[in-house]
Amino acid sequence: MRIKLTVNGLLYERDCSEHHTLLRFLREELGLTGTKEGCGMGECGACTVIFNGKAVNSCMMLAAEADGAVIHTIEGEASGPTLSAIQASFEKHHAVQCGFCTPGMVMSVKELLSNKPKPSTEEIKDAVEGNFCRCTGYVQIIEAVSELTGANEKGELEHV
Amino acid sequence: MLYEFSYLAPRSVADLVQALDEHKDDGKFLAGGTDLLPNIRNGLMRPRFVIDGKKVPGADALNGGATEGLSMGPAVSINDLLRSPFVREQYPVLCVCAHELASHQIRNRATVAGNVVNASPCSDMAPALLCLGATALLRSAGGERELAFKDFFTGVKKTALKPGEYLERIVIPAASKGARGSYKKLKRIAGHDLGIVGVLMVRLGDSLRFAVSSAAPTPVLVESVTAKDSPEEAVAKVLAAVSPISDVRGTKEYREHMIGVYVRRLLAEVK
Repeated sequence: MRIKLTVNGLLYERDCSEHHTLLRFLREELGLTGTKEGCGMGECGACTVIFNGKAVNSCMMLAAEADGAVIHTIEGEASGPTLSAIQASFEKHHAVQCGFCTPGMVMSVKELLSNKPKPSTEEIKDAVEGNFCRCTGYVQIIEAVSELTGANEKGELEHV
Repeated sequence: MLYEFSYLAPRSVADLVQALDEHKDDGKFLAGGTDLLPNIRNGLMRPRFVIDGKKVPGADALNGGATEGLSMGPAVSINDLLRSPFVREQYPVLCVCAHELASHQIRNRATVAGNVVNASPCSDMAPALLCLGATALLRSAGGERELAFKDFFTGVKKTALKPGEYLERIVIPAASKGARGSYKKLKRIAGHDLGIVGVLMVRLGDSLRFAVSSAAPTPVLVESVTAKDSPEEAVAKVLAAVSPISDVRGTKEYREHMIGVYVRRLLAEVK
């Protein structure tokens, strides 16, 4: 079927297979391979994108359902060589190790900050609850967000 | 997904019931998709038609007011409940359970209707709907009928929905407004996980209600506990109503023990 959607501010009109997920459409039809497939069933959050303002698992949605939607992916973050504020803070705090979970993490954090500019540590943890990092860098991620929002709670978190 | 199906998105109730009627045997209703799409991916379901119920006007309506109860369509997501000031103030029990369901991203997509129609024994929303006395409005090409949620679940992943029928609205009575409660869910990790066992206790005036998830083929409502019962009597009544099994997530004995622990904690906590 024919779908129209806005991704990172650009309007696309494309044919999509009715049984393809939004994730596959973004990666294979639009070439936006920053969004990753981890588990393919909503456990890991590597495929997180912002769909009409809400962070969702793009592996558990059909591309057909995104007709008319406004979507943000990791490709919309940096502008040229300049990182977005979230990305820069992730880099500064070493919140990226292998990087596979990072696009999803950044999208979850982006949705959080659009609703709560100064989240508590608990709210940050809640927002990234569905994003698995297997390099176990959660503390650095929380610190990156805390410092970015001016609520730096350094010393409260224990590095393990 | 390698498995191929056709996607239908009816724009009216009439078109939706017609599509469901035509595809009674080879169609599946799509709400949030967080159960259906992984099931298709894993080969557990093989529908030829996926029928999106979210494009029908009013599907995402979450209505409540000063005098009436609460009514929600099949596209109302778990986070829609958590974001609604009306639900948070008047039906806090719904939010207590909603917050325990999966992860933030899933709660943005998963629907209340989908969670109960999926009818998993570990459903997190079913305990809330059972304790609040909710009813289901079911619609098909043949018309509409009403069913209390305590009669809705018939077995593991089985409901009273007939082929071609869908859950059009969930209605929570005004009488349950202000009910207070707490939900204890035992998980393997602090983050999102399926429950090993879950116990919800709700207090409304003098009446007590318990609902237990992951401890029987269906979520179980227990209405026999009274305010006069000792904690031991309450535990015995709740345990008499469930029939947990041993599986990969926990043994029967562990589940029974934790139900007892949770019932005692809830009686002390929910005043």
